[in-house]
Amino acid sequence: MKGERADMNKLKESGWHFLLIVICLVLLLPVLFMISNSFKTLQDSYHSMLQLIPTHPTFSNYLTLDKQINLFRIVWNTFFMATIVTLGKIITGLLAAYAFKYFSFKGKKFFYFAFISTIFVPFTVVMIPNFLVIFKLNLLNTALGVALPQLCDATGIMLFLKAMDKIPNSLIESVRIDDIPSYKILKDIVVPILRPNIISIGAIFFINSWNEYVWPTLILKDKNSFTLPLALQNYISSEGGTNFPLAMALSTIMIIVPLLIYLIFQRYILNSISSSGLK
Amino acid sequence: MNNRNKKNKVLTIAYLFPTALILLVFIIAPIIYTFYLSFFNWNLIAPTKDFVGLENYLSIFTDPVNRKIILNTVFYILLLLVLNFLVPYFISIIVKFFISKMQTAYKIIFFIPSLFSLVVGAMLFSWIMNPVSGPVAFFMRNLGLTLPNWTNSGAMAVVVICLITNWKVFGYNFVLLLTGLGSVPQNIIDATKMDSIPKWRMIWDIVFPLNKSIAFYVLILTIVQGLQYVFTPISVITQGGPYYGSSNALYHTYLNAFVLYKTGNASALAIVTFVIFLVLLYLEIKFVEGRTSRYE
Repeated sequence: MKGERADMNKLKESGWHFLLIVICLVLLLPVLFMISNSFKTLQDSYHSMLQLIPTHPTFSNYLTLDKQINLFRIVWNTFFMATIVTLGKIITGLLAAYAFKYFSFKGKKFFYFAFISTIFVPFTVVMIPNFLVIFKLNLLNTALGVALPQLCDATGIMLFLKAMDKIPNSLIESVRIDDIPSYKILKDIVVPILRPNIISIGAIFFINSWNEYVWPTLILKDKNSFTLPLALQNYISSEGGTNFPLAMALSTIMIIVPLLIYLIFQRYILNSISSSGLK
Repeated sequence: MNNRNKKNKVLTIAYLFPTALILLVFIIAPIIYTFYLSFFNWNLIAPTKDFVGLENYLSIFTDPVNRKIILNTVFYILLLLVLNFLVPYFISIIVKFFISKMQTAYKIIFFIPSLFSLVVGAMLFSWIMNPVSGPVAFFMRNLGLTLPNWTNSGAMAVVVICLITNWKVFGYNFVLLLTGLGSVPQNIIDATKMDSIPKWRMIWDIVFPLNKSIAFYVLILTIVQGLQYVFTPISVITQGGPYYGSSNALYHTYLNAFVLYKTGNASALAIVTFVIFLVLLYLEIKFVEGRTSRYE
C-alpha cells in the first residue's frame, strides 16, 4: 500500500516538473530563437525560423546595423545614462537610509511614508511638468536630462534600510560615543558591511535603467542621443514590415549586459528581490 | 549634549537633502502642477492657458473615446491580475509544496526574462505572433488555419500586450510570492502532514491566510506596475490602435500630452489615475499592516 502511494506521488511530481519545464521553455525559447535568427540571412530566418543552429551562420545583420546606426555611440549613451542613474540612486539611497536608521528626528514617520508612497505615483502624473523642467534646463537630448529626475529611488531606500538591520546596533552606538563623525561611520563601517547589498541593489538599478523606454522617448529625440531601447524601437514597424533578423541582432546586443550581470550576481540579485517583498 | 543634538539635526537634514530635493522638484511639485494644469486648456507651448474649470474632468466620463479608454483600463487590470498575479501565485505554490527538488533552478530560470527590456519583449511577440512570417502563423498554416491580424482587433491586441508583460513580470512576481511562501513556518506544514490533512486544505486554510500580506503587496504591484509596463508594448506595437482599442488611461494621457498637445485633458486623466493608485496605496497599508508602521 505504502509503496503504491509513493509511486503515485512520484508520478504526480513528474507531472508538475513537466509543467514547470514547459514554462521554462515558453519563457526562454523566444530568446534563444532571437539569438539564433540574428545570425541568419533574411531568407533563412523566414524559411528555417525554427532551426536553432543556423545552416549558413552570418554576421551580416550585425554589420548592417553598424552601417545604419552609430552602434558604439548608442551603447555608450545607454551605459553612461544607466551609470549616472545607478550611482545617484545608490548615494542618495544610502544617505537617506542612514538618516532613517540612525537619527531620530521629528516627522520621521511622515517622511518615510512620503518617500515610500512615491512608488505609487504613476509616471503620467509627473511627466508633463518634468518634461517642461528638462526643456527649460536645456537638457533635452542629454543623458543628464534622462537621469536627473531619477536620482533617487524609494525601493532603494527601503532595501538599504532592510540591509542595515543586519548591522548590530551596538557596533554603531559604540563608535558614535567616541564622537566619530557619521560620514566616517557610513564610509568605513556601513558601506563595507553592506557591500554585497550595494552591489546587488546597484545591479538591479543598472539593469532597469539600461532597459528604460518611456521617459527617454520623451527626452531623447535626436538619433545621436538614443539609447538601445529607443534604437530598437525604430526597427519595429507597426505595419508588420519589420526586418526581424536585424531587430533581433540589436536585441541580442541589448540583452548581453543584463545577462552578464545576472550571471555574476544572480544569488545576490534574487536575494534583494526577495527581501523587497518582505516586511 | 545640546551641541550634539544640534549637530545631529544638521546631519539629518544633510543626509535627507538629496532625496528630498529630487522628490520635491521631480515628484511633489509636478503633481501639484499637473493638478493645476488639469483646470486649463493648454497646448504645452502657448504663452496663455484658458481656465475651463472642471470641464476636463467631466469629459473623462462623457467623451466616448475616454469612456472606451476607461473600459480598456479595467480590461487590462483584470487580465493583468490573472496573468501576472494568479498564474505566478499558482506556480509558486506548486514549486513550494508539490515538488521536492530543483526549486532554485526554476527560480533562476523563471527570473531571466525580467532582465530584458519590454521593447525586446514587444519585438519578440510581434515576431512570434506575426500573421505572415511568424512561427505561430507558420504552424497554423500547416494545420490549414490562418492567424488573424490581431493588431486589427483591440481586444486581441490587449491580450497580446498583456502576454508580453507577463513574459517579463512572471519570474519577478514568482520570486516575490515564493519568498512569501517560504516564511510559512515549516513546523505547521509538518504538523498537517502528520495529521494527513490534504495538501489543498493545508494551503487554503493555513498558507493563504499566513501569506496574505505579501500576496496583497504583489497584487497591488501587479496593477500599479502592470498598467505602466503595458505602456511600452502599446507604444511600440499598436500606438493604442485600432481606434483606441488597445489604449489605456496611461497611454491616452501620453497621447493627449505629447501627440495631440491637449495638456488639460492629459492632466485630468493623469490625476484620476493617480487618485486610483492612491486608493490602492491606502488598501495596501490597511492590509499589509506593519510595512510602513516601521517607524511608529
